[in-house]
Amino acid sequence: MKLLLVEDEVEIQTLLKKPLGEAGYTVHLAEDGRTAASLAAANGYDILIVDLGLPDQDGIDLILQLRKSGITCPVMILSARRSVDDRVKGLEQGGDDYLTKPFAVAELLARLRNLVRRTSAAGEDATRLRILDLELDFIKRRAARGGDVLNLSPQEFVLLEYLCRHAGRVVTRSMLLAEVWGTRIQPDTNVVDVHIYRLRGKIDTAGREPLIKTLRGVGYVLKDR
Amino acid sequence: MSSKTVNPMMQSAAWRISLWATLAFAVGTILVFGMLHRFVANDIQRRSDAWLSGEVGVLGDVAERTPKDRLYSRVVREVAELASREVPNKQQGSGTENDAVFFLQAGADGTLKLWAGRGDGSAQLAAIRSTKVVLDSPYDLSVKGFRIPFRVAAVRMKDGTSIYLGLSEKDEIRVLRNLRSRFLALWLLIVLLGFSIVFYATRRMLGHVRRITEAASRIGQSDLSSRVPTSNRNDEVGHLGRTLNRMLDRIENSMHQLHTITDSLAHDLRSPLTAIRGQLEIALTAGVKGEQIEPIVSAMDEVDRLTEFLNTSLDVAEAKADALRISPAEVDIEDLVRVMIDLYEPCLAEKGISVQMRSSGPVKVMADAALLHRVIANLLDNEVKHLPAGCMVALGLGSSDGFARLVVEDNGPGFGEDLGHHMFEQRARGKESKGHGLGLAFVAAVVRAHGGEVSAGNRPQGGAILSLTLPLATQTKAEAPASLAVVNG
Repeated sequence: MKLLLVEDEVEIQTLLKKPLGEAGYTVHLAEDGRTAASLAAANGYDILIVDLGLPDQDGIDLILQLRKSGITCPVMILSARRSVDDRVKGLEQGGDDYLTKPFAVAELLARLRNLVRRTSAAGEDATRLRILDLELDFIKRRAARGGDVLNLSPQEFVLLEYLCRHAGRVVTRSMLLAEVWGTRIQPDTNVVDVHIYRLRGKIDTAGREPLIKTLRGVGYVLKDR
Repeated sequence: MSSKTVNPMMQSAAWRISLWATLAFAVGTILVFGMLHRFVANDIQRRSDAWLSGEVGVLGDVAERTPKDRLYSRVVREVAELASREVPNKQQGSGTENDAVFFLQAGADGTLKLWAGRGDGSAQLAAIRSTKVVLDSPYDLSVKGFRIPFRVAAVRMKDGTSIYLGLSEKDEIRVLRNLRSRFLALWLLIVLLGFSIVFYATRRMLGHVRRITEAASRIGQSDLSSRVPTSNRNDEVGHLGRTLNRMLDRIENSMHQLHTITDSLAHDLRSPLTAIRGQLEIALTAGVKGEQIEPIVSAMDEVDRLTEFLNTSLDVAEAKADALRISPAEVDIEDLVRVMIDLYEPCLAEKGISVQMRSSGPVKVMADAALLHRVIANLLDNEVKHLPAGCMVALGLGSSDGFARLVVEDNGPGFGEDLGHHMFEQRARGKESKGHGLGLAFVAAVVRAHGGEVSAGNRPQGGAILSLTLPLATQTKAEAPASLAVVNG
């Protein structure tokens, strides 16, 4: 998987290079828009990470320019701006994604995986999903563990569904807020933790192996092995 | 919006200006005509007087020289009738019937000696005798049986008799009446024409002003890039448009500078924050054990808090300068509040706080959904942090007078006395509060940037109450296309 990181800040470069490499990406670096354009034209990348604040041009202009020249791979936009540009919203609707700094590395990795999967259009429309002894039925909106039907609220089912679809990978609080509740707020309080706590109370009942694991400071993982 | 009962045209300044101008014009022309009328009337009078004086002199001469025999009366009457044919201002073709002129000779004892004219002359004689006469100049004489007075000139003969020549004023009056009616028709035409010209011209002129006003009112908090329409003409309206646009240039410039400053500040702080957080995260996932986890996690929490503080304080700073960046869209605030309550309910329940929502159905507002999410989250965060266990939060949503109204009440301790009126100010916080004091300032800033109002206080029965209003979507629909166009562009 070839990835082009377009970012001029050295701190971010060094921060991302190692975890991206460990996640299986071959990382190329470009420090400005011109280099990025020529690299992207020469090598067919599977995914791009573009910072909006480049020294020579605006990141969005770069993306639009690349799109015009026929490069269609998904783009992860990194922004240090506080407000989300409407053009970024446009790109997001076009299948790209964006993260505002500071972000969790785990979240970046998870979103990159989503982007790649979205574009490779892997069939996700299965009506059932099974992870260890946890079973989800998306048509009946029902979940069962070890054969016992779990008494979940619709909200909790959506939450569990999201965790299951990302089983084995880190899911951060802001990912859950965005995907389950459709909001990009950063609450002052531990609202998401309480939801997970409640869900765990229904799934990881006494005597069963805990499935939802908390990674402190990072997020949650649903164990898949 | 309030012009439903009053015709908007009547309210227009063009209407008033043209009304006043027309009134002044009408009064002026009436005055001019009055003077003209007087002049014409005097002139006609003068001419008929001259004729009368001349004729009565001639008649006097004839009467004097004609021998007083049987032919006397015939000759004099003949001459008098000849004279009456030359009456000035006479209407053409009024027939042979001559009732416009009379000739009368009265004896020194006041008896009728000679009469020429219609009737027997006794009424005329009676009128003459009852009038005090100054002989040298013609005078007005009202005769019984005649609606219109006569103008009479007299001459006294040597034999003591007097000769009177009377001319009816009906021709003079007819001429003046004609003049008046023609003038009135012309006057009406001119006044109407003048009114429509003035009305059209001022309406056109004020139409420019109105378009400038409309454009200026569309240039709101979220849209500073458009300009009012200008014309190339070098008149006052053109100046007004250009001056407004120069002012908007300056405002947009300073707004842009503010955005640049806050953005670069945010950017300069965020990249190092990202790096710090990332390093901590990598250290954490790299398999740190036991006691070492806690300090790393709390350091990450602090970084997150610092980021949130940075964001919110920059937002509040921008909002205070009316520079909050808003991308409005139609939002169902009921749905939005329900989602947020869903999100916060477990957290509130865990603290022993119950929450309920009252609403009468969907309420659509034109707002930035992301900002509204944060507003509601701020309010609920506040409740989570400040309410003791066993309390209750009630959210009520309704709409009235074009505004959506959200009321958040609780039965907790309420706002502290020390907060007073400062609760919406930056850094305002109660003594016990652990927050950074930006929550309510942010709420107020966002609501005001959307054109709403926010108020807070303590309920008489105890507990805090906070209410905010937002303009409904239908009301702002007229302005929406302009701001949306900018968003899309």
